[in-house]
Amino acid sequence: MAEQFQEPVVEQIYTLNLGPQHPSTHGVLRVLLDLDGEFIVKADPVVGYGHRGHEKMGENRLYKQFIPNNSRVDYLSGMIYNHGFCLAVEKLAGIQVPERAKYIRVICSELNRISSHLLWFGTYVMDLGGFTPFLYAFDDREQILDILDRVSGSRLTYSYCRFGGVTKDVDWQFLDMTASFVKRLRSRWPDYHNLVTKNVIFIHRTRDVGVVTPELARQYGVTGPNLRACGIPFDTRKSEPYEVYDRFDFKVPVGSKGDALDRYNVRVEEMEQSCRIIEQALDQLPKGDFINGDAPFKVKPPKGEVYFAFESARGQTAYYLVSDGSGYAYRCHIRVPSFGNLHVLTEVLKGTLVADAISILGSIDVVIPEIDR
Amino acid sequence: MAKKDEIVQKLRTMLPEDAVSADEAYKAGVVFSVRVPLAKLRDAASAFNEAGFYLESITGLDFKDTAELVYHFNCYEPKSRIAVRVLCGHDQTPKTLVDIFASAEWQEREVRDFFGIRFADNPDMRPLLLPEDADYHPLQKTFGIVHAYHTREEIYG
Repeated sequence: MAEQFQEPVVEQIYTLNLGPQHPSTHGVLRVLLDLDGEFIVKADPVVGYGHRGHEKMGENRLYKQFIPNNSRVDYLSGMIYNHGFCLAVEKLAGIQVPERAKYIRVICSELNRISSHLLWFGTYVMDLGGFTPFLYAFDDREQILDILDRVSGSRLTYSYCRFGGVTKDVDWQFLDMTASFVKRLRSRWPDYHNLVTKNVIFIHRTRDVGVVTPELARQYGVTGPNLRACGIPFDTRKSEPYEVYDRFDFKVPVGSKGDALDRYNVRVEEMEQSCRIIEQALDQLPKGDFINGDAPFKVKPPKGEVYFAFESARGQTAYYLVSDGSGYAYRCHIRVPSFGNLHVLTEVLKGTLVADAISILGSIDVVIPEIDR
Repeated sequence: MAKKDEIVQKLRTMLPEDAVSADEAYKAGVVFSVRVPLAKLRDAASAFNEAGFYLESITGLDFKDTAELVYHFNCYEPKSRIAVRVLCGHDQTPKTLVDIFASAEWQEREVRDFFGIRFADNPDMRPLLLPEDADYHPLQKTFGIVHAYHTREEIYG
């Protein structure tokens, strides 16, 4: 009888539902974690809670009516999306943009990129248990919101760009505020580095955690700072320069290992590079029109299509527009960077600790409504 | 040799003469546009994978006479995006690319959500963005408010 006895197979896999309301899931992300003790066996992100049908709306609204939607796809880089959509339509319809408007758009987009990275910086460190840096970051971010509020009248959903330019010219006060903000942010770097970058607890929570290898990044279509952290200097602003980005001297920061610490370092360095772009743009800002007065009121691009890629705060974003010659797009597809950036987590989270999952999730910097669209 | 030229050479041997069209001016945001028959899609994708490209986006287009899948591949070199266009009849099922590009899994689920195109052999075809019990496909031109429903000829003709 003894040989018939079999060891009972003990199933000790425990399923934990992380989110969708958990503060560190940044938006409405839900991750189903299968746990073996403290270790993650399988992670299954569940998205779609914030699906609003932006792509359908893109087909149902005139091109101009779709502008306010853009800032709501990724609410943290609203200006950059707005900018990208206008560029896509301008390319499709062949609308010219005055030089001054180009520079104003670049300045505002880079300010927006810094504000997005600052918010990420604050919330990420707060996820890891540090509350003070959060207040520092939000204090600085508030300055940017004031500057953008001045020109666009809005703090988050800007809708500032129009086909052929921007809604409103910038005044000397805007330029003053921007220049002094850059100076102020530079003076803050030592504080940030002393508080966070050199913090032993922070380094232990991030070094060698959530490593994304270049091959994994390619397989999952990871772009943006997360890709650059694994050592690939790929930035749409450099690879397909749009607007006037080819006139500025800036570096593409890269990491070496692709762990959470590298992603942190790349983003912090990127803020400094954005400051450099803003400074150069302020110096070169030409006089002239802020909007092309001849731009058609009702935009009707000729038949055809355009795939326009640009670099948002989270990575390569693209609008794919198909026009049938009418005022409505036949198809409006948005390629969002967070899609690949989040999908790669299914692979990265395997075999890590639950506590590290929070660190990894934060370091990857996803905006869920962008995925849900 | 740049990766984009390498892959185009390879695709030219694999496909009929007029399948590859170049867009030197980058007018539509792609450097080459390749028409691939449904049966050769996986071969083309494998070639892209071997050449070191990544799958940037999968999306669909709905026409009266047919549906069309548009795959955008890109590599980490300047201006190298290549579009692969696959005609896929309303009743046809394309093969999945999941085992070639991992990122295809979610993107195919999204296309399934929006256009109702099922991908054969994708291990996980649950709705991604729509509710779990959704039985509608919002980007089909027969759903909701639609301003125009064309044949493919009328736009690309």
